[in-house]
Amino acid sequence: MNRRGGRGELLHVEGSMEADKYVYPPGVLGSEAAKALAEGKLTGIRCGEKLIVPPRPYCPDHSKGELVEVRGPWIVESFTIVYEDMYGNMLETPQVIAVLRHEDAEGSIVHFLKAEKPRVGMRTRPVFKSPEERNGTLGDILYFEPAEQASKK
Amino acid sequence: MEIPGKYVREEELRKMKGVIEYVPKAKYSYSAGQALSVFLRGLKEGKILGKRCSSCGRILLPPREFCESCFSPAGEWLELPQTGRVETASVSYISAKRGKLERPEIVAIIRLDAPGYRGDEPEFPGIFHRLCGVSEEDVMSGRVFGARVRARWRPAEQRAGSITDIECFERW
Amino acid sequence: MRTNVHVKKRVAIVGAGLTLFARRLLETPAELAWEAASRALGSAGLALKDIDCVVIGSAVDGFDGVHMKGEHIADGAGGLLRPTVRVAMGGGTGVMVPIAAWWHVASGLCKTVLAVGEEKMSHAYPHPQAVFAYIWHPILERPLGPNLIWIFALEMAWYMRECKASKEDIALVSVKNKRNALDNPHAQAAANITVEDVLKSETLVWPVQLLDISPVSDGAAALVLADESVARRITDTPVWIEGVGFALDSSFWYNRDLSYPRYVEQAARMAYKMAGIERPWKEIDIAEPHDPFDYKELHNLEGLMLARKCEAPRLLKEGHFERSGELPTSPSGGLLGMGNPIAASGLMKTAELFWQLRYEAGARQVKKAVHKAVASSWGGLMQTSTVIVLSR
Repeated sequence: MNRRGGRGELLHVEGSMEADKYVYPPGVLGSEAAKALAEGKLTGIRCGEKLIVPPRPYCPDHSKGELVEVRGPWIVESFTIVYEDMYGNMLETPQVIAVLRHEDAEGSIVHFLKAEKPRVGMRTRPVFKSPEERNGTLGDILYFEPAEQASKK
Repeated sequence: MEIPGKYVREEELRKMKGVIEYVPKAKYSYSAGQALSVFLRGLKEGKILGKRCSSCGRILLPPREFCESCFSPAGEWLELPQTGRVETASVSYISAKRGKLERPEIVAIIRLDAPGYRGDEPEFPGIFHRLCGVSEEDVMSGRVFGARVRARWRPAEQRAGSITDIECFERW
Repeated sequence: MRTNVHVKKRVAIVGAGLTLFARRLLETPAELAWEAASRALGSAGLALKDIDCVVIGSAVDGFDGVHMKGEHIADGAGGLLRPTVRVAMGGGTGVMVPIAAWWHVASGLCKTVLAVGEEKMSHAYPHPQAVFAYIWHPILERPLGPNLIWIFALEMAWYMRECKASKEDIALVSVKNKRNALDNPHAQAAANITVEDVLKSETLVWPVQLLDISPVSDGAAALVLADESVARRITDTPVWIEGVGFALDSSFWYNRDLSYPRYVEQAARMAYKMAGIERPWKEIDIAEPHDPFDYKELHNLEGLMLARKCEAPRLLKEGHFERSGELPTSPSGGLLGMGNPIAASGLMKTAELFWQLRYEAGARQVKKAVHKAVASSWGGLMQTSTVIVLSR
């Protein structure tokens, strides 16, 4: 029995899985957090004793949390250095991506870190775009940079 | 009772803070696999090739490497007649993304005249394709159902090994 | 024979909740899941800590525009650090969610399950139709530039010819379901329309016109399932899951007769056998058949053996399927009236039967006494059927 499909190479057909674009609304709590971000404030939610970042619409026990401002400093918990973009092209300047923790909060945020010598435990603060450029997304923060206290150490 | 869920209009969304837009870029190269590669090459040569199940004997069109009913490997290749009958048809006024089509598109399921088939079996060798020489009225009045049709091919030099090497099925 | 599987625990539905169904909701997918789940837990008098396992259903990642959609909404669905699983069966997902939740409990694995279905179809532009383009075979079908509605139009035309049903006959489904939805506060497309309105609406792909189709929607739905010991403790009116069935047909949809859905019959026979139902057309009191398109309700009713082949249009005309009729169908308003956030709308159908069997459906409560009910979801390339039989 001839189980081979035939002579020669297999054919391929080009295609894609695309839409013109996706538009993601921020959600109910997210739109409050977005407004705060546009004002240069990072937020979290308070669930009883716990403070959780980034804010989410519900606490771990499924109850509703309260949105509160969370001020720094943000401490580097982990970081990585990225050399390629998402399509595999080399970046001109390698980018440091850091997991940033808050002393009083559970959870962490992920963002760019601009530091000469990134290290775990480094205390950082966000650098925002100018107010008129902000749109309430995480891109309103350009990057995190070492806080002054950190540079003293 | 308050119902959860806040409806937003498109214009409100435009003004809202925190909205993310993203354009996906996801390119694929789909392998045609063993059976379809032969089928597509056959189309390029102006042939409709099917397979016969080595176990139950049914004709598989489009061809596949295995018969999904009896789960045995499909057997011999055979060239099928290029004629058949319209089982059902529709008239589309919208594009794949739901835009308006300038000219409506008429498509059909065609039961091919395969050897050994009476023509009323619930399972049959079939093709999904465009109809030509058929008017919207022919479809809406039901005249086209059951109509005899045959494959109309693109000129040999324009064929690319694609289902669209058959331009359409036309009445005869 | 009453059952064809070994069922260790009898399973009841003890709570249900829905969000609003709408074209575009502000809530994120996880927020929608959370709202529906919280509502369902509340109606069962339970809290998340009482839940053992979670079953999530969503049809297609491409609608919300995130891969691993189950994982993305798991927190909202109550899945945090619990045995959690997602089922995805395309349009058949809605009823697959309570089916999967059922076997979690029936097997004795979990005592309580939160079952959540969610779909957010407003994220993709210019229209969710752009995402539906990828259900087609990339080599054999997509080069023809098909729109999702093509396949329904081809099936509907075949059904109309085979059953000598007219557009007028079929439009009555849309009229009925949209009218039923007027009593449903969650509904997106409730309306008092006439057959004339359907026939005058825009023709998209003949024979399908705009008002023959359920609108695309955002929304979520949730159920709480429990084993008999828990159910008896927390409610006087548990609704029992008596049978489940599901079946898939071949993806070569143009190799078979589409005028009758043999895979629906297969799924229905499995569920009825388990439920000990021999004559469904006599024994079933109320049904929520899948109705993404108006003809599809009739098609599914025939596959579910609630009408003989080609008999559903006549029964519809005679008022058989009205809320006041012999066999009320889609009393919720169905997908045509409620909107169609795919996994959520199928789950909504099971939720509606839960309320009907408990006589809690308010203005939507059907006239007749109800004991046994059936819901179905349908999907794929004319392929998937999921069926659940409930009793009070």
